[in-house]
Amino acid sequence: MNINELTILICDDSILARKQIKDILSTLGTPVFAEATDGQGAVDKYKEIKPDLVFLDIVMPKKDGNAAIQEIMEFDPDATIIIASSVGTQSQLKSAIEAGARDFVQKPLDKNQVLTIVNNFLEGR
Amino acid sequence: MYTQFFGNYLLANGYVTQEQLFSAMRRQADKHIKLGTIAMHAGYMTASEVDTVYIRQTHEDRKFGELAIEEGFLSNEQTIELLRLQVPDFLGLGQVFLDDGILTNTEFENILADYRSQNELVDLDMLIEEPEAITKLFENFLIVAETPITHNGHMFTELLFNNFVRFVGEDYTPITVEELTEFPAECCVKQEIKGNYSIVTYLAMDEETAIAFASRYAEENFEAYDEYVQASLEDFLNLHNGLFIVNVSNDSSTELSIGTPEHVEEPLLLFDHVTYHFPILYTFGTVHFLIEAVKLDD
Repeated sequence: MNINELTILICDDSILARKQIKDILSTLGTPVFAEATDGQGAVDKYKEIKPDLVFLDIVMPKKDGNAAIQEIMEFDPDATIIIASSVGTQSQLKSAIEAGARDFVQKPLDKNQVLTIVNNFLEGR
Repeated sequence: MYTQFFGNYLLANGYVTQEQLFSAMRRQADKHIKLGTIAMHAGYMTASEVDTVYIRQTHEDRKFGELAIEEGFLSNEQTIELLRLQVPDFLGLGQVFLDDGILTNTEFENILADYRSQNELVDLDMLIEEPEAITKLFENFLIVAETPITHNGHMFTELLFNNFVRFVGEDYTPITVEELTEFPAECCVKQEIKGNYSIVTYLAMDEETAIAFASRYAEENFEAYDEYVQASLEDFLNLHNGLFIVNVSNDSSTELSIGTPEHVEEPLLLFDHVTYHFPILYTFGTVHFLIEAVKLDD
């Protein structure tokens, strides 16, 4: 799979965090980006565009990340969701993985970690 | 590490002015620490012995160590040991004041002794090697502020000072903590931590400081106070509080949660609970961190 063929949905209430994720991913190519600023927006946007990959924060207004994952997974059990959050407690991690998240990246974002996750996804791992 | 507390000590005791401190903080990184300063710090030479060697150096082109050995102030072994010694960062700050003539060697020797005794540092090397010494220094800073502190409160503030170093820069001095009932909030963001330990955290600063703070935090070059600058302030708060609840969870298996960070619209904050104000003097401006204690059960 080629990154330029991907649509990536980035869900974070911080405009800065969204920009940072886009900047990191743009070093690999030119995917199509979509954005959401809260949990409900993430679910709505997912249903609208069916992205290939989702980056999702946990602490968001209206609906938190874990609730958003559950709704997205109910809609599309094959969704690939990566949590990017500063709240990386064991229980949060467990809840996110149980809800269906594929991976978890602790903020501050480590560029190499994000790129490894995306490269693994591209290689079908 | 923790040069910040030494800066606070010098400022609080009137040894230097804020302007002198800022100027020294900007220059300390490149400062070569003289062997005489290290010898005083190690307790091998007195200030007057160091002065004697410096005076001899003004009319003899010879190294400090050679002259100190000749005068009988240092042994060969001590000189070699001093040259190899890893010195704490705050000596660099002291060296700037010595070189600028703001402090004399005698004053600096007294300051070192007093600072050491206040913080129960038997040996200043402890600041490099022993986390307990850093904890003591940190506790002393908060005791001076007459601020009662819980275990979680201690974890929170120690992490906060570390995160300022890690994400914004180490060129700051924390000023004595004060208790407040209200605060004029310019460029202010807040975030709640909820659970057995409940606090509301606030980060506030003037616009110019916010632009500089955000530029460092986001590693961007912001020129105006815009949504990215505001998001950077919120992001710092969210990141710090997120790391704190991870630490609490690892430390005591207590699960806390955080709300979403919010921009504060009110020009004047009025607090319902005891609130502590941590002014952080950065070389680019003053950052105000406030902690409103809602529930402090550890």
